[in-house]
Amino acid sequence: MAALTPKFDIERFGALKVGSPRHADILIVTGPVTRESMPRLIHIYEQMPEPKLVMAVGACAISGGVFAGCYNVCGGACNVLPKVDVLVPGCPPKPEAIINGLIELLRRLRRG
Amino acid sequence: MDLSYVMALLLFPGYAFLMLMAFFLEWLDRKTLAKVQDRYGPLLVGPMGLLQPLADFIKLLSKEDMVPKGANKGVLTAAPILMAALPLTALFFIPMNGHRALVSFEGDLIAVLFILVTLALLIFLTGWASANAFAAEGAMRSALQMLSYEIPLALTAICPALMAGSLSISTIYASQAKAGLPFLAFAPPFGAISFVIFLLCSLAERERVPFDAAGAVTEMVAGWMTELTGRRLALIRLGRNLSFLLMASLMASLYLGDPITVKLAWLAPLAFVLKVMACAILMSFIRGLMARLRIDQTLRIFWTYMIPLAVGVLLATKLFLMFP
Repeated sequence: MAALTPKFDIERFGALKVGSPRHADILIVTGPVTRESMPRLIHIYEQMPEPKLVMAVGACAISGGVFAGCYNVCGGACNVLPKVDVLVPGCPPKPEAIINGLIELLRRLRRG
Repeated sequence: MDLSYVMALLLFPGYAFLMLMAFFLEWLDRKTLAKVQDRYGPLLVGPMGLLQPLADFIKLLSKEDMVPKGANKGVLTAAPILMAALPLTALFFIPMNGHRALVSFEGDLIAVLFILVTLALLIFLTGWASANAFAAEGAMRSALQMLSYEIPLALTAICPALMAGSLSISTIYASQAKAGLPFLAFAPPFGAISFVIFLLCSLAERERVPFDAAGAVTEMVAGWMTELTGRRLALIRLGRNLSFLLMASLMASLYLGDPITVKLAWLAPLAFVLKVMACAILMSFIRGLMARLRIDQTLRIFWTYMIPLAVGVLLATKLFLMFP
């Protein structure tokens, strides 16, 4: 993820990558949801403590992108998860766009 | 009990100061790591991101509290509280104001070492009680690691005590001032080797790179912390920061005593904080430079090299004392 590396560094905003969904605040979906990965994605989402936010990064994660309509693809995160807070379009999206999405999430949290 | 003692307990070397230092060291750690990796690190919350650890703490306090089915709720409630309280207790034995610790008695070094073992046992209990494969595996690795670093840690911490002729941390610190040299520079190679062993053991105690196999994010989710959320996680992270502070200030008080600042009453606490910061930056720097060792490599390093080395340094220090 370029957003974590020196040039962009989202830790400036206090965001860190964590290993366990139990420690996470934001779930970032970065690819199309396949039949294989759907139950796992839902499982991870359910493991996260409230308040939790979801960000779909890239065209694939939003709608399935070029994979939409494949026999094994259920579409994007929007088709599977109860709510997706921010969509970051692009194929692939620029790191600036991902950071912009993150800031939008932070703004949303501040508004409550 | 007079007022100055209560103030000392609550404010300067007491709770308020220690908590602030713990948050400050987390900030310092993240910032140093970011600098090593050519990043900025926390930047926007407070001046230079200083309030980021505090903001994270408050955020975690407000998050949902979950205990997985099958987990032992009692242990998962008690362990975080103890994990924050025990290092705080141990920190009272450290002579933060330059001459005398809040609490000190002959043998408080042993008490601090005992608290470090207890912390490792609590980590094992937390992982085991989480009813999660990753947490249990992380706990196993953590316990294995404890078996490897505790012995050299205790052996090498005895070296400055031997030199000072006392097992009280305050007396060790004061005797370094009297001798005119910090233990690190005393008896040229031995003090330095002892310091390096202590540094490696404290990295292992804190489960930091290169000895972070117990919480390895890429293979173990989050190790023994995997199932913790909300308040429990907040307290454990505070406890980990406090034990970071504990290891750094143990290093500062056992190895980096100096004859000048002890005489100046107002400078001594400042000098101590600077020493603690130097030790903390050293540990964070190593974190940025190294890769992770496998758990068997960690064990091999400690059992085949560190323990004989620690015994050797201990004997050499004793001989140095007998035939100066």
